[in-house]
Amino acid sequence: MLQRFLDPAVLQGISSLDLVARTVVDGFVAGLHRSPDFGFSMEFAEYRAYSPGDDLRHVDWNLFARTERCYLKRYRGDTNSQLTVLLDASNSMKYGSGAVSKMDYARYVAASLLYLAIHNQHDPAGLIVFDDEVRNYIRPSTRSGQLYRLLAGLEQAEPAARTDFGKPMQYFQQFLNRRGIVLVISDFYAQPEEIVRAVEPLRFHGSDVVLFHLLDPKEIYPDLKGPSILVDLETDEKLEVIPDYVKTAYRAKMDRHLQDLSDRTQAAGMSYHLLTTDKPLDRALTEYLTLRQSKGSPSRTGVR
Amino acid sequence: MGFLAPWFLAGLAALGLPVYVHLLRKQTTVPRPVSSLMFFEQGTQSSIRHRRLRYWLLFALRTLLLLLLVLAFAQPFFRHKTVLASDKLLLLAVDDSFSMNAKDGGTVRLDEAKRQALDLLAHKAGGQKAQVIALDGQMRVLTQPVADTRVLRAAVEGITPGEGHGSFGELGRGMRAMAETVHTPMELDLFSDMQESNMPGNFADMVMPGNVSLVLHRIGAGAAPNWTVESVQAPGQLVDTKKARVIAVIAGHGTPAASRTASLVVNGKVLATKKVDVPADGRATIAFDGLDVPYGESRCSVRFDGGDPFPGDDAENFAVKRADPERVLFVHQASDNRSALYFGTALGAAAQASFVLQTITPEQAAEIDPTKYAFVVLSDVPAVPSVLENVLIRNVESGGSVLVAEGMSAGHREHVPVFGGTVADGHFYARGAGGAGYVTAGAMDSSHPALKDANGWQGVKFFYASAVDSGSARVAARLADGTPLLMDRQMGEGHVLLFASGFDNATNDLPLNPAFVAFIDEASRYLAGAERMGGPRAVDSYVQLRNPVNAAAASKTSVDVIAPDGSRPLSLKEAATAQSFQLSRAGFYQMRFANGRDALLAVNADPRESDLRPIADDTLKLWTGATAQPESPVTGQEQQQSQQGGSHVWWWIMLLAAITAVAETAVASGYLGTEREAI
Repeated sequence: MLQRFLDPAVLQGISSLDLVARTVVDGFVAGLHRSPDFGFSMEFAEYRAYSPGDDLRHVDWNLFARTERCYLKRYRGDTNSQLTVLLDASNSMKYGSGAVSKMDYARYVAASLLYLAIHNQHDPAGLIVFDDEVRNYIRPSTRSGQLYRLLAGLEQAEPAARTDFGKPMQYFQQFLNRRGIVLVISDFYAQPEEIVRAVEPLRFHGSDVVLFHLLDPKEIYPDLKGPSILVDLETDEKLEVIPDYVKTAYRAKMDRHLQDLSDRTQAAGMSYHLLTTDKPLDRALTEYLTLRQSKGSPSRTGVR
Repeated sequence: MGFLAPWFLAGLAALGLPVYVHLLRKQTTVPRPVSSLMFFEQGTQSSIRHRRLRYWLLFALRTLLLLLLVLAFAQPFFRHKTVLASDKLLLLAVDDSFSMNAKDGGTVRLDEAKRQALDLLAHKAGGQKAQVIALDGQMRVLTQPVADTRVLRAAVEGITPGEGHGSFGELGRGMRAMAETVHTPMELDLFSDMQESNMPGNFADMVMPGNVSLVLHRIGAGAAPNWTVESVQAPGQLVDTKKARVIAVIAGHGTPAASRTASLVVNGKVLATKKVDVPADGRATIAFDGLDVPYGESRCSVRFDGGDPFPGDDAENFAVKRADPERVLFVHQASDNRSALYFGTALGAAAQASFVLQTITPEQAAEIDPTKYAFVVLSDVPAVPSVLENVLIRNVESGGSVLVAEGMSAGHREHVPVFGGTVADGHFYARGAGGAGYVTAGAMDSSHPALKDANGWQGVKFFYASAVDSGSARVAARLADGTPLLMDRQMGEGHVLLFASGFDNATNDLPLNPAFVAFIDEASRYLAGAERMGGPRAVDSYVQLRNPVNAAAASKTSVDVIAPDGSRPLSLKEAATAQSFQLSRAGFYQMRFANGRDALLAVNADPRESDLRPIADDTLKLWTGATAQPESPVTGQEQQQSQQGGSHVWWWIMLLAAITAVAETAVASGYLGTEREAI
């Protein structure tokens, strides 16, 4: 029943991003049917020595009473895997042929992922909103209220300016001091080698990088019934285009671009996923959990 | 080619509008936003070039539409002088009213008018059609539109002097009626003395329709001094020739003070002659005492030697009938002697009395023949024998008359004898509580022949009156409370006059009032029929030959009319069916009506024709509708040359513009449909 709330067209009617995220995640989780591959229950995993700054709520006070040593009790789902979402908020993300624009869809995806990470997995999560420079940076954390800071950051992320991957990625590397999962959500209107060149350093840092290539269905299969004048949302450049070109050459170019980007990101050790705004959001969540499990697998055997 | 409204050509500047729309204005389409033009390339479809071709077609249509509209409003025309001359219908209207009999320098005005009309015909273009019209009180079309000059000349020469009153209003109405069927341009040439009295009361009646150009040809030297016998007052029927008195009014129009000798002529013999001083441009009254005429009908006139250029109006005809006094049957109750006394005294005191009263009671009236009496009076009779009533009704239907005075006896019966109405109630005003005890006369219809002099009725007190249902009868007088007092009902050829009160001084004090004599005199002459047939009449007036209500019965007998010249203007069929007859000539008409009565009618020309003052020049210019148009007559050839008419083509242009508008709409719709698809 809740599965239908993964549909972006349904989510568009919900004004609160918090509620959107909760609806998506709850629906998604309910649809997993206790799959053993995605354990995020409270099953005990290991003890870890307390270090200053750790949350005192996770201290095993019974063990402390017996041994007078302060250990943190960790469960399988509590293995930390820092999640950082890089959200493209350039003007091109304003485009939408249906009820949901690319920016709205991107917000839903990001909000759902952040909710899943913080609320269900207790992972520190952060957000970087960028266009041709970094417009907002929320440091990854598990502190209380982090989720709402992140959601507020998403709410404030209004499309503006042009896309430039170089500067924000360079800036982001300054803050990246811990391995984790980096999700880049963008429509990637740039040359594939340029994109890969900009994002690749994150991978070198040891993080798992996933590119969510977000497009509107009409961008992949535009329907142009007559000669029209098209306006670039980022540059305001105008161009007269005829339907014959759109039906043939444009689609070939777009297919080539998608294929090239996919090939290059995978060659660089990154994941690539194409999302369209008319599809449900579960694919993005699934990808996140898959990555997290693979990162958290050592902790499953590290029981002391 | 020319333009009637060249200022509208300034509208050609509107042609800049389609030029701007199609050539100068940048084509705007709603651009579609896309995320990026990264994968798009510039492309121009061949169909756009096709559409631009349609733009040119639309541009041409729109430009043509504006051009045609501007041209249509500028009203272009083509001059075709030759064609115009033959297309224009020439109307020659000759005024043959009575005033055209006046002379100017020895020449009769009508002759001069005919001469000028013939001159115009002589210069008419060969193929041009013309029509001849005679104008007096009516517009008489004498010919069909023909080009044959001989027919037209014969029609003009055949116009004889008339004696009617000219009316330019009738001319205007006739031309407007003609313009409804004739749509080609017409030129109306009016040959008239332009008498001011010929103008109608409303100037709009004279206005000519749009396709008629009026050319006036004034005949005569203008206002000429003229004396005339304006009116004659004489008894239509008399008994005592010594008591008769003839009063004539001699008027001068634009005349100096002068002394004139007037004569009273009876059957061609001068009876009396008198001198009268007529003031400058004024009137003088002259009276002849005694009118010694023989028994029967006499043809009388008052005439004088005017010494003016219009001798035709120096005499006024009137007819007089001398007869023994007619008897009037007065039926009254045996106990009522006052009614007969008052009535008989009033009848005898009337200045033109020619009646003798015979009084009887209803019982004595059972076997009388009412046809032997001028009329019958039923005064306060409680019960009329049915035999007498039926005889009286038959007499009335065949032309006789009855005067019924209700009196106090009306309360005893519901039915009014002969008159036929019912008595609803009897009003005893003397018994009214809190009232004045009487009621006075209210509305009086002074147009009724029996109430011509109704001024003295205001002081009369009525103490009793019957409330009679008037029905279809004409109410000639009412009391102040609205009760009908005097009613007139026509039955067949005759009349029944009902007086709702009585002739004694018990029901009212009218018999004691001087107005009673005048009332009895006028009512008697009206009921005797003398009033209806007496008195001079004007030319062009109508006389009723038979009663239209009883026309079916009256058609069994034919009427007879003998005109002043001795001819019989009615055919046998007309004599059997005609209900009225127009008196078209001045003089004496001998007539026999359907009811068997004979009458001699005196007919005179309209006195308004005697005033020869012409219409002011400004008014004439206003009538012709063009102040620049020459009033003096010009030759026909010159006139045709000066005419700059043309065949108007604006409505053809409007038709073309309508077609263009439809084509523009079709092309524009196709274009807009394509554009919507593109967006």
